[in-house]
Amino acid sequence: MSRPKDNRPTSAYQPAQPTTESAVTSSIARELVGQLTHEDRDRARDRWRVARARWKGRGWKSLGGLRLLWLLVGPGVLVFLGENDAPSMLSYSATGARFGVGFFVPFVILTFAIGLIVQEMTVRLGAVTHRGHAELIFDRFGKFWGFFSMGDLVLGNFLTLVTEFIGVRAGLGFFGIRPSIAVGAALVFVLAAITTGRYWTWERITLGLAIFNGLFIPAALLAHPNWPQVGHALLTWTPLPRGDRSEILLLILADIGATVTPWMIFFQQSAVVDKGMQPRDIAAGRLDTVLGTLLASTFAIAAILATVPLFHHGINAADFQGAQFAQALEPWIGHVGASLFALGIFEAGIVAAIAISTSSAYAFGEVLGTAHSLNRPIREAWPFYLFLLGSASAAAALVLIPHAPLEFIILTVNVIAVLAMPPALAFLLLLVNDRDLMGEHANGFWGNFAGVTVTVLLVCAGLGFGLFTIFPKLLGG
Amino acid sequence: MKQEKAKRYAQAHDPGSAAAHAEHPDLQDPNVVLSLLEADQVVAAKTRTRFGKRKLSVGARLLLWGLRVYVFVMLVIVLISVIRALHGGQ
Repeated sequence: MSRPKDNRPTSAYQPAQPTTESAVTSSIARELVGQLTHEDRDRARDRWRVARARWKGRGWKSLGGLRLLWLLVGPGVLVFLGENDAPSMLSYSATGARFGVGFFVPFVILTFAIGLIVQEMTVRLGAVTHRGHAELIFDRFGKFWGFFSMGDLVLGNFLTLVTEFIGVRAGLGFFGIRPSIAVGAALVFVLAAITTGRYWTWERITLGLAIFNGLFIPAALLAHPNWPQVGHALLTWTPLPRGDRSEILLLILADIGATVTPWMIFFQQSAVVDKGMQPRDIAAGRLDTVLGTLLASTFAIAAILATVPLFHHGINAADFQGAQFAQALEPWIGHVGASLFALGIFEAGIVAAIAISTSSAYAFGEVLGTAHSLNRPIREAWPFYLFLLGSASAAAALVLIPHAPLEFIILTVNVIAVLAMPPALAFLLLLVNDRDLMGEHANGFWGNFAGVTVTVLLVCAGLGFGLFTIFPKLLGG
Repeated sequence: MKQEKAKRYAQAHDPGSAAAHAEHPDLQDPNVVLSLLEADQVVAAKTRTRFGKRKLSVGARLLLWGLRVYVFVMLVIVLISVIRALHGGQ
């Protein structure tokens, strides 16, 4: 195989300067003419479609505006539906089964609002700098902090990937499909998505799969939710959860970890860059992120509502996995409802496996300076694709090893996500406030207020968990 | 007439927008590709430039170290918690 084409030169780099100047009118245009890559041409094609839709649509007021939105939607929806992954949907399901309709319904919406605040910053960072998150951290903070940050990401991503394949296995297990076939099928999906050699096609295939996260809606409707009670819970945040306080705290942490995680920051920024978004697309990027938040929070609430019958019938779902939830729900939501629930867990696992392995591969390529774009053919960016497929395959293989510590991984994955988030947020806030990078797109007061508040909240949630673990009697546990 | 005027204006002021007037862009023409991308969006331009390391204030360094210690301590606590949970479940 050939060496990837854009290995960085060993000589000193020139200072980068974010600019909105067109490449053709820049001072280095003549030099760039002979160095264009497949990636540049594919990205230019995407930019042409956007420019044409913008020219034809003149903004958001016509069908041209809708076409523009269609072209620019992607990273935001994908990141949120990707984060509605197998362990997240199981956390929401466990919440519904344990506490019914009450405090956790508005609480989950709050966690998505937190996620929206964080992810909007990545849109701006990606569109303005055209660099991925890992690349910017290494560039601005050096290797020391870069490797710490990557350590958190790689560990979190790998553990999460394992849980995705556990979800895939459990989801298809409901239909009697053997684990090796289920996990193999998921790997085929990952492979099929990346062999397109085109970001746009990859994005549309993954979006097409991600929309099946909506399977939790019919499953919830079949559970016949008490809508006035849902409305009451949304307005009053009651009834408050009662019982084992350690369990409540763990579910609070798991639900936060189900919505805000480091991989989302790295993924969305890299996807915005790969999609070729520019500062003028930031408004559309925000809309894309809001749309993703709305869809994902709706599906998360649906997962809670679908499992409420278990709460009403006093069934202990503490140790349930995907297939067990579906089996337990069958008497109340029927075989169709249970099948939809199991398929939803399967879908959640597949989409997240695609998104998370891509997030790891983007970061890997950015740090090593090898080609890292889904617009590259495999022969030009084979380390990127190899890492992507390798990380997914390793996680899939671990799931199939007899006596592997899967229970350990399930227990820790969302908690680790919450604990690793404050440092990731600190880097994000430092970068998005860096006026040398961001210029007029740097955070304003309210952006920083929201970002700092979210960071403090996450640190407090982690400290609460730590205090309780060391001093269990603090909460009366 | 009005459209023609808009096209001429776009060609002069916004090359990307000018390319949008083409029914099918010739992406084998480097100038068309470059007209659609921002200068720092081209792979060759990105690979030879760096933003460079920024000087961190004392406060920022303290924050990063504090959060690093936090993560380390919390990971130990998670490990304790999981071991307890696994033993409790057996």
